[in-house]
Amino acid sequence: MPNEPVDVLIVGAGASGAAIAWSLLDTRMRILCLEQGGHLHDKDFPSRREDYELARYGEFSCDPNVRGLPQDYPINVDDSCITPVNWNGVGGSTINFLGHWPRMKPSDFRTKSLDGVGADWPISYHDLAPFYDMNDANTGISGLAHNPAYPDYTPPLPPIPMGILGQTLAKGFNAKGWHWWPSDVAILSRDHNGRQKCVNAGTCDLGCAAGAKGGTNFTYWPILENAGVELRTNARVREILVDPDSGFATGVLYHGPDGQVHEQRAELVILACNGVGTPRLLLNSTSALFPDGLANRSGQVGRNLMFHPLTGVAGVFDEPMRGHEGPMACSILSQEFYESDPSRGFVRGYGLHSGRSTTPMTYALGGYGIDNPIPWGAQHRDIMDNVYPYLAGLTVVSEDLPEEHNRVTLDPNLTDSDGIPAPKISYRLGDNTRAMLKHGEERAREVLLAAGAKRILQKGDDKVWWRAGWHQMGTCRMGDDPETSVVNGWGRSHDVKNLFIVDGSIFATSGAVNPTSTIQALALFIGDRIKTNIANLFD
Amino acid sequence: MMETIWTHEDNTQLEAILDLLIPANIERGIPGAGEARVASYLSVVASRNAKFAGQVRTLLASVSGTIHDITPEKMHQLETTVPDAFRALLTETYKGYYSRPDMRAHVGVGIHPVHPNGYAVLPEDPALLDELTAPVRARGTVFRDPTAKETG
Repeated sequence: MPNEPVDVLIVGAGASGAAIAWSLLDTRMRILCLEQGGHLHDKDFPSRREDYELARYGEFSCDPNVRGLPQDYPINVDDSCITPVNWNGVGGSTINFLGHWPRMKPSDFRTKSLDGVGADWPISYHDLAPFYDMNDANTGISGLAHNPAYPDYTPPLPPIPMGILGQTLAKGFNAKGWHWWPSDVAILSRDHNGRQKCVNAGTCDLGCAAGAKGGTNFTYWPILENAGVELRTNARVREILVDPDSGFATGVLYHGPDGQVHEQRAELVILACNGVGTPRLLLNSTSALFPDGLANRSGQVGRNLMFHPLTGVAGVFDEPMRGHEGPMACSILSQEFYESDPSRGFVRGYGLHSGRSTTPMTYALGGYGIDNPIPWGAQHRDIMDNVYPYLAGLTVVSEDLPEEHNRVTLDPNLTDSDGIPAPKISYRLGDNTRAMLKHGEERAREVLLAAGAKRILQKGDDKVWWRAGWHQMGTCRMGDDPETSVVNGWGRSHDVKNLFIVDGSIFATSGAVNPTSTIQALALFIGDRIKTNIANLFD
Repeated sequence: MMETIWTHEDNTQLEAILDLLIPANIERGIPGAGEARVASYLSVVASRNAKFAGQVRTLLASVSGTIHDITPEKMHQLETTVPDAFRALLTETYKGYYSRPDMRAHVGVGIHPVHPNGYAVLPEDPALLDELTAPVRARGTVFRDPTAKETG
């Protein structure tokens, strides 16, 4: 029956919601997931069309403010230099993520102790390591074992091709004596668990029609639905309800596809709505007990928003780099400058990611995530004929430190189509991040020249990529102290004992790597703790 | 030829503008945006987007005269005097031109939809991977592990 109480209610069917549902399957609890979007069907993938690139600027834009689909909510970004990007639907942003899958490192969990910045996590890399492994097996991760930048582990599948572009850059890193390694990716290098291996389409952001990319629409959800987890789509949660006497969450109010508001009761509520959607929902759930938003007695809900600010440098080589062939963000990754070195003038560090090239339309319009068209006229012809095919680039992916003024609040005027207040982002780059990006640009330039680039294309300004808000972290951070954190070391709200958060909002610090691997490992870890503590879960 | 929302004269002017925005490469047989009929694509966009239709009309009104008056200098002038309209036209022109599979092919990218066939990229031979990664492995670990002892 649609509105009978359930044991576990998960809000959001993306990376973390799917992972924790899988973890809780063996409890035999009744699990329901409410997802504001729907399923993608085979015909919906633009990469089956000849004009596939157009979708990147319309219905398949990564930016919800551009897409404007019925399931999307607008985001006020007037006060931010980076705009959040996402996908709302079954699979969440694993639909249009690029599948890059590096783990965080041991030092990322101890930034305060080691470097005097950020916050120490209440858990360590080694607590998560078994769950990284478990999730890698479930997702089908490709990579090369024994990366010297990590405690030893072995990805379950061999690496995807680096291609001429990756090989060329690897030689440049070797010439400099710097670390690099083939990227770990959530993209199949071999057929795996009934899914087809990657065909090197190069358009990972447009969804993977082959199912080779490890979106949860292809990994976890088919298993979950077969096992009886109920997935209710086009169901947008507006508020979490709380019992005024016990202070426990009792369920949610959501807008259904029938246009009506429904109440869904549950014993346990788990939020998996990402680093923008989760604080939005908590801040919109006010009551006499929680006048400033649910689970917000610390005042930290929405604060400490972290992205990974990005910039890029490209080199022009003698040979075509064939950068459009192969997974678009994933070839090789250098972590030479990841750990702190005081001599560099900043703390913490960054990665140099060798993405491949974009397709011609996207390059002409300024590059992925950038709205700055290349010149027109004779210069345009020259760039597209004599530069574009010969490009290889490096992206500087910097660690973002938690700062309270970078935050998500509710916009007083803007709403989604159901009248729910939209999130407003207030975000500016810190000086440490600026120094890090500048350092990264110079190192990228050096390695491109060492790899044989004949020309370097560098922006020459200090702007970061605009549509770079893929990684939304920190807005409900975990910690041992209820005065300074929102959830404890296993994702449970300090204030509401039957409310858990499992998405990137609980990160205490951001690291300088794509977070999905860690988000899902954390969700599996929290699921494990829920099962371990099931007898006294709400004490 | 596809019907457009503009008059024949407008269309002629627009094609001249488009050939300046993305010129042909005659040596390599690559047409410019006007010759490639990007105006038809723009017409479809304009029919769905009144703001863009107005911006194109603004630009066309600004270049009234014969197509001989449509010069790079005139385009640079428009880029300054009506920047929003110029930027909108430029963006849609790039989209229209490169959404054509044959134009994609001229810059080395496949003519086909990328699914189901994608591109053939061979995995590196394990010996090559060994050779490339040997210097990296030889340097040893490059991470700090403050919690290794906690977990044994």
